[in-house]
Formats: sequence, structure tokens, C-alpha cells
Amino acid sequence: MSEHHHEPAPMVDEVSDFEILEMAVRELAIEKGLFSAEDHRIWTEYVHTLGPTPAARLVAKAWLDPEYKNLCVTDGVEASKAVGVDWINSPPTHFGTPSDYCNLRVLEDTPTLKHVVVCTLCSCYPRPILGQSPEWYRTPNYRRRLVRWPRQVLAEFGLQLPSDVQIRVADSNQKTRYIVMPVRPAGTDGWSEDQLAEIVTRDCLIGVAVPKPGVTSNTMRPIHKAVHPVEHGHGH
Amino acid sequence: MAMSEGKNHGSGNAQSLAEQGPIALLEDVRNRGRVWEDLAAQYGVTNPDPPWKITLDATCDILAASSNVLPHGQVVPGSCALPLLERRAEEDELAATLYADVAYPERTLLALAHSMIRHGLFDEEELARQIERVGHRLKEV
Repeated sequence: MSEHHHEPAPMVDEVSDFEILEMAVRELAIEKGLFSAEDHRIWTEYVHTLGPTPAARLVAKAWLDPEYKNLCVTDGVEASKAVGVDWINSPPTHFGTPSDYCNLRVLEDTPTLKHVVVCTLCSCYPRPILGQSPEWYRTPNYRRRLVRWPRQVLAEFGLQLPSDVQIRVADSNQKTRYIVMPVRPAGTDGWSEDQLAEIVTRDCLIGVAVPKPGVTSNTMRPIHKAVHPVEHGHGH
Repeated sequence: MAMSEGKNHGSGNAQSLAEQGPIALLEDVRNRGRVWEDLAAQYGVTNPDPPWKITLDATCDILAASSNVLPHGQVVPGSCALPLLERRAEEDELAATLYADVAYPERTLLALAHSMIRHGLFDEEELARQIERVGHRLKEV
């Protein structure tokens, strides 16, 4: 899955002390119980994306319609047309280059199989259906470590998977892009397509999170209540 | 736990952060670290911000909790780990003093770490250990 026939975009190919400091501060705050890794990921996603993407709509439709779900899994390009994305003729989001508009594969999760998407060489991403890639997706940290230690990297996003769940990493390339179709979560019986689309956030479609009722990317700004409130007495 | 009290900023201590002096660990990072501006120029990357800026912003926001959206007068003391205006005031002070020669957003990151240490949310030794752990993890590939 990793053949490339184009020059990768320029990338800073070293880890800086500032990058390390940022991660250390964040992880220490998590260790201290000030917030959780998952809270932080939700917050980060919020500032990146607002509103359901066409890919979220695709997943929501598939959850409601087994026939459409089958089309998604067998022919992602054809299935994309139902959510307004024609990969061949009319890229609706105007992102990227013609090399983006070739092939989409929809990776179906099961209760014992979790997919997650990466581009190990550069930052290939299904932009027409999922928008711009998040910055973390483009870092060597994510690209190199996900394929080696997927369970550890997913845990850093706040996604702890049981040991009996197999993780499959899909490596994007110039011709083929991937989105993840997560398992429809419990507690969504009777929901409409609109309701379902709201919980299929960008991170769920990349595979670093799973959908949960009540967790959407276009709700009000998330408010994190202090876990251990701290009294400050200084006078600025 | 070091975070339980604002011990270095008690009401009897009117010293500003700059007057309390630099923090050796953060001076090391500042002196050793390569800023995004230089890295981007070297590698031909046009993104104006380093990839970690988005997660830094999220950390600042989540530590500030509801003080992000409430008028300053309505923020209940102790309702969040690091209130927005308090952190921003400290960042401004540090940006004008200790970190005056550091580029943005690196100085925001240094200022956040500085404030968190001075507020007792964690201490310098804990951060040093975590930096070592993270550095080891990121550089082993």
C-alpha cells in the first residue's frame, strides 16, 4: 500500500526540543489529572474542524443502509457520489491536486478489528471527502511511530483498545486514499442520518478515535471542568 | 502533589515571574532548541506554524476551562488550573523579559511551561524527567 510515484512535500525531518517540550508539558498535565488525553484530542479536533464532512455523511448513510454499506466497501469512489463527491470529474472541495482524485477505499471496522490511516512517506489524505489534514497527521512522530507501535500511538490520542482488538494500519499513497468506517456505537438506535453524521468526527474517520453518542465536532466549544481545582493567590 | 497549591505564587509573594528569575531547565530548551522559523527555512516547508502549535493551543485552552469564555469578573477562583487572562498576562510579561529574544510560538510554549512550574502544577524535576522520556520515545525511530 505504500508505492509512491511523486515527490513528497517538504517536511521538517528532525525532532526539535520545542516539540519534545510541548509533548512533555501535555503529558505531565495528563499524568497530574488536569485533563485526559482524550479530552485534549477532542479539543484539538474542535479547533480544526467544524461541521460534519462528506465522509461523515457517507458513514452515517452506510450505517442505515446495508446495501449502500456494501457499495462503500466495494467501490468507495462510486459510493462517494451519494454524498456529493465525484473523485474523477468534479472535486467539490477544491482541495489539493488532480493526484488526489483517483481512488477511495472505505475500511470497515468490526468489534475485533480497528483500522487507522497514515501516510508514512508524506501526508497523502482523502481531502475531497475529509477536508484538510490535521497538522499532527503530517508529523514524522505520527507517520513513523503509528506503523511500529499503533496501540501506543492510539493510546496517546486517548483511544485505549482491548488487547483482543486487532489494529490494521493503512498506508495512503498517491493513487489510493482511505477513510475508516467505524462500528456504529451503542445508544444510537433510531437515530437519523443527520444525528449519526454528527458523531462521525474527522478523527473517527482517520481512525484515531471512535464515535460516541454526544461527542460531535460541531457542538458548542467543549468545556473542560477542572478535575483538581487549584487556588491561585498571586496578584498580577 | 506539587499541583495542589499555588505555592510559588502565594498572596504574600508579590514578585513578578521575571523577578523570580529564569528556570534552568527551560533555559536549556531555549538555548538548545531550534525554532520553527529556522527548521522550516532549512527544509523548505511553507507552513507558518509548527505542527505542535495546535496541541499547545489546546493545552492552554483546556487548562483555562470556562475562563476562556466567561468575562474575567465571573471566573470563580480555583475553577480551572490556569485561567486564561492570568496565563496571558504572564506570557506577556515573560515575552517582554526572560523570553524577549525567543520567536513565536516557541515563547508561548516556554511561557506556558514556566507558568505551570511557578503555579506548582508540576515541578522542574518532573518536567525534566518527562522531557527525557518523550525525547527518547520520539528519537528511537
